[in-house]
Amino acid sequence: MRFPHHAAKTGQRLSYTQLLHMRRLLLIFSTSFILYSCDPGRNALTGKVDAYVPVYNSLSDVQKISVVAQQPTLLAGKIYAYKNYIFQNDLNTGIHIIDNSDPQNPKKIAFIKIPMTSEIAVKGNYLYANNYVDLVVFNITNAANPQFVKRVPGVFSATSQKFPTASNGYFQCPDVSKGIVIRWELQNIDIPNCRR
Amino acid sequence: MRNKMYYLLLVPFFLWQCQKDSGGSYTKGTDAGQGGSLARFAIVGNYLYSVDEMQLKVFDLANPEDPVLKSTQDVGFSIETIFPFQDKLFIGSTTQVYIFSITDPANPKKLSSAISPQVLRRCDPVVAKDTVAFATLRTTGPCGGFQSVLAVYNIKDITNPIQVATRPVGEPYGLGYAGNVLYVCSHENGLLLFDITQPYEPVLLNTKINDGVYIDVIPYQNTLICWVSTGIILYDITDNKNPVLLAKII
Repeated sequence: MRFPHHAAKTGQRLSYTQLLHMRRLLLIFSTSFILYSCDPGRNALTGKVDAYVPVYNSLSDVQKISVVAQQPTLLAGKIYAYKNYIFQNDLNTGIHIIDNSDPQNPKKIAFIKIPMTSEIAVKGNYLYANNYVDLVVFNITNAANPQFVKRVPGVFSATSQKFPTASNGYFQCPDVSKGIVIRWELQNIDIPNCRR
Repeated sequence: MRNKMYYLLLVPFFLWQCQKDSGGSYTKGTDAGQGGSLARFAIVGNYLYSVDEMQLKVFDLANPEDPVLKSTQDVGFSIETIFPFQDKLFIGSTTQVYIFSITDPANPKKLSSAISPQVLRRCDPVVAKDTVAFATLRTTGPCGGFQSVLAVYNIKDITNPIQVATRPVGEPYGLGYAGNVLYVCSHENGLLLFDITQPYEPVLLNTKINDGVYIDVIPYQNTLICWVSTGIILYDITDNKNPVLLAKII
């Protein structure tokens, strides 16, 4: 994008698109000013506000799946029961596999690392989960060592790419060229450029 | 992250697979497992149903290693959850509940545009037992409403649930039943037990269960699997009215 004042310096007449750009900039500045003046959470000294900022990762990292040793639960998610096993999602990081053959002494036996996951369903020794926009399948015949068997790519939509679902408020507009938005972090930043 | 998780918790709408009794058998007599709640995935027969923001998708699991996307259809906006009940799918959105028939399992057909959100709102977890459905109506979060209650519905006509009773409950989340006891997760207020021997008139029992922050339950065989904020708590419910703490999984 060329800025209108460049045109003015070189003595050229402003084109229609440049005028449009000017109008947009004016609109952005005036809107920002209005938001600035309205937000009680703003710190007038630093000129910063609390806003959600996208955290990016590459597609290859988002699709990186592995089975690792049992792990402590961080963000306890949805639960699922199948035979003598219990599965619990750990929000956006994976699935805990728990051997519940002895309910007085349940044991975590493995953790399937799956970025950006929230759903679980099991049928006939196969576990189905979401991984970002993909459906992934594991053979859990040996539940302590699930085998990744299939990825069905691009079957789910990714709403969290567009805005932080956690709140209505300020956020930094996501930039698709930087990768996949894996989460939104609340940060204290200069004027965020998006709001919903 | 924590905020994000709580957002997920605030949008549940689910209906448990209707089983004569919750103990024992797997969903629909197939070899599928049993989900808790808040689900966007549901397996019925050889099909996996999923909902994302706007669409219902059907995957054929005839070859379980190779799910095949059979159909995709737009349902509406801001779809949150899916739950199977008998040969129906209930799909909850921010404004209403869509009912689909899965008589033809690969091609769900919309039966009814909605249950009125005034009657059964999308934020309300539901379990069904025969011709009665129990839902927790929570007023905190984005769900609206005026009082947090356990609501009881006559569902003889599944497309036209009739509210027959309510019971006050503080901040209720998921729920599930085993035998004649209904377990209601009341977040920091503990796990509440209702006697549902007379299902249209649930009676709150005096049992106090408060070992965590309760979000959802799966009554499974003789075990009550509770999703709590720290992970899972298991209770023995051989005596449905007297859950006995078995273990905490963190």
